[in-house]
Amino acid sequence: MRQLNNILEGFGSTVLLLFRSIGYLPTLPRQFGRFIEQCYLIGYTTLPIVAILSFFIGSVLALQAGYSMQNFGAKQFIGSLVGLSMARELGPVMVAILLTGRVGSAITAELASMKVYQEVDALQTMNIPPVRMLVMPRLVAAVVMVPVLAIIANLVGWFGGAIISKYTHFIAIDPPAYFSALRRFMEFKDILNGLIKAEVFGVGVILVCCNIGLNTRGGPREIGASVTRAVVTSLILILVLDYFVTKALM
Amino acid sequence: MNNFQQTARVGLFFILGLALTWVTFETLRGGKVFKDQGYNLIAGFTTLKELKDGDEVRMAGVKIGEVERTRLAGRRAEAVLRIDHRVRIKSDAAATIVMAGLIGTNYISIDLGTDAAPDLPDGAEIKTQATADLNSVMSQIGDLGKKLETAIGDLSGALSGGKDGKTGIIAKVDLLITENRENIGKATANLQEITAKVNKGEGTLGRLINDPKLHDELVTTLDEIKKGAGEAKNFIANAQKIVDQVKAGQGAIGALVFDQKAGEDVKASIANLRAVSDKIARGEGTLGKLLSDESLFRDAQSIMKKADRALDGLDDTGPITAVGVVYQGLF
Amino acid sequence: MSTASDVTRNPFTQTESPAVGVTIEGLSKSFGKFEVLKDVSFAVKPGEIFVLMGPSGSGKSVLLKHIVGLELPTAGKVTVDRRDAAAEETRESVRMALVFQAGALFNSMTVYDNLALYPREHRIGNEASIREKVMHALQILSLENAAQKYPSELSGGMKKRVAIARALVMEPQLMLYDEPTSELDPVMSATISEIIATLKDQYHVTTIVVSHDRDLALNIADRVGILMGGRLVFLGPPSELKEPKDPRVADFLHPRIDLQNPRFKQLET
Repeated sequence: MRQLNNILEGFGSTVLLLFRSIGYLPTLPRQFGRFIEQCYLIGYTTLPIVAILSFFIGSVLALQAGYSMQNFGAKQFIGSLVGLSMARELGPVMVAILLTGRVGSAITAELASMKVYQEVDALQTMNIPPVRMLVMPRLVAAVVMVPVLAIIANLVGWFGGAIISKYTHFIAIDPPAYFSALRRFMEFKDILNGLIKAEVFGVGVILVCCNIGLNTRGGPREIGASVTRAVVTSLILILVLDYFVTKALM
Repeated sequence: MNNFQQTARVGLFFILGLALTWVTFETLRGGKVFKDQGYNLIAGFTTLKELKDGDEVRMAGVKIGEVERTRLAGRRAEAVLRIDHRVRIKSDAAATIVMAGLIGTNYISIDLGTDAAPDLPDGAEIKTQATADLNSVMSQIGDLGKKLETAIGDLSGALSGGKDGKTGIIAKVDLLITENRENIGKATANLQEITAKVNKGEGTLGRLINDPKLHDELVTTLDEIKKGAGEAKNFIANAQKIVDQVKAGQGAIGALVFDQKAGEDVKASIANLRAVSDKIARGEGTLGKLLSDESLFRDAQSIMKKADRALDGLDDTGPITAVGVVYQGLF
Repeated sequence: MSTASDVTRNPFTQTESPAVGVTIEGLSKSFGKFEVLKDVSFAVKPGEIFVLMGPSGSGKSVLLKHIVGLELPTAGKVTVDRRDAAAEETRESVRMALVFQAGALFNSMTVYDNLALYPREHRIGNEASIREKVMHALQILSLENAAQKYPSELSGGMKKRVAIARALVMEPQLMLYDEPTSELDPVMSATISEIIATLKDQYHVTTIVVSHDRDLALNIADRVGILMGGRLVFLGPPSELKEPKDPRVADFLHPRIDLQNPRFKQLET
């Protein structure tokens, strides 16, 4: 019962945080420097790991698909399979998971330590709403940067699949054939679908991490506990949201 | 790192994202955003099959536009086509949905139309033709197999006597010979008689041999007969051609193979043939007279020889062989 | 220089504004079943230094948080300049600055940015005037050389001074100090006490100091309050503390170290 109460409270405060952040949107120009800084952290510095991971995810997809499809001669559809899986599912989910691990945990740690060391209280006594200064710029930065990461993840994943398809001896499909198969079953709608998903995940992850960070109570030991909780909650949220968003966009 | 550098990198990164989104959009939608010049045509079909938004529209294989939208309009499906403004489409051109592969995208193919026809304006409706899709082709091939079976069954029935007790052609020919054995015997006797008469110089032929004046006429007649034989050769050649056409599944014999009514016609023709041969046996009609008229005997003989040869030729290329060819061609 | 105690002078613009008073009426605060403050009432006059003393866990810091609106009272009322301290508008109309126990400096920013945050966020002046103001505040506390350092590079005493400087930049009408001398050596504690007194003398800012530093209270306070177990057990000028009537207060101010009968053996669990 207590557990359920906690979950509901967390959910409610997260939604509230979203609305309050939206309310502070007009002050974005004042937070522009912070916004750019967060864009840099969320987008630019996350790019290398996103690129590396999506390359190998695309490669493995092609490899597994080729391995299982060679038996019934459907190898020419590897491009379609890799393309659609990356665009609709793996790209957005992977970006969201990396965002949780690389950015979300850092956000929670930072906000939790600010809370524990009374920096958040200091902000409040200075009449600066913490949400305006700490949450809103991060949220907007995520909204702007996550789709960019997702589209890069898609493209890199596709190329990873193409390279593996060409140089694996039991697949041996040339890039033109691979990409024509990819294009054949894919519409821009599928990409858009994936980008919307990534956007939803990104906003969700940032909100959850900010909320848990800002609600940290107690001493420095709680910072670590908050980070763990934020990462676990975000991962669960991503997969649960994934189901519902996919369903809603179908 | 200073602020400016950070801002620049973020800006660059964002532009990169936009560019990549644009590239994928271009690739997947054929870049509709910036090349939106053109005009719309509406093509109505009973079914659009696998056609979807963004598929190509081609004229004589060249891409001239794309399917902008597909929609249901009342009792039919409509595809709104976006055609390049440089391409004019004639009002008598027809649109068909064509499959690009067994499992793959479809596209709309528009034929060239005729020069005389006026151009279609924006928003006009284009003529359409329904085409068989893979499923209906498959079921048609199935039907064809069934029809072939029936046709072959009918044919063998006609040749060797049907299940319904009717006498077959071979039996009838057999009967014809048996019944007319006496007549044939008589005819042979007559022939002997004629030969004897010719030997004695009696009758036309006899006189012909003895009368040098008539010799020339005979030569002319024989020339004409030769000419006739040449024409018969042509006829055989034509028959060969027809068989080829049958192989290709065209023409009347092709139809004959599959058409039950034609089978009936063949039966009727064979019945007529029997009536004619009966008449000949009775000495009626032209042929009968020919046989009894000694003067024409030799001409007849030579014609018979030619006809024999012609029949030999036909033997190789008879309708049954044709069916065989069609059969092999299909399976 | 005006000597009137009911006027607060702005350290930057030298303009004067009425000093604000704080009243606390019947304040009670409970966290769950645990009652931290029990019916506390007192008033802080405009322009005075009020030192709130008491043992650890007596609820001093909680009371301070009520004044700046970080905590909401379970019962009773806190007013600042006759406005409800819990209301958002009060913090906009009355400039209050709280100097936190650990400083609560923003660790991700330099000292300069820490000080410049308030005017920047509230759009007070352009970057040049903000720079002038920040450097002036640092100068008041002799911190000019630390401007480009990060809080983690500073010593404990410097952190406290930076925190005070940051509070000054807010041009406060009410300064609140939470344990300003804790964790500092005696000399640094004395320095901080001097700073608090100097700021009050020069700018007549109403000042509330929460501390258990006896020297600070006796030397710079205009009035002293002592909280024990959530109740106010003493309220009066520091001179009265020299001969306290209440044995608890006497024990708090002049504890005897009794090895025969140690206190921790008597503590309730």
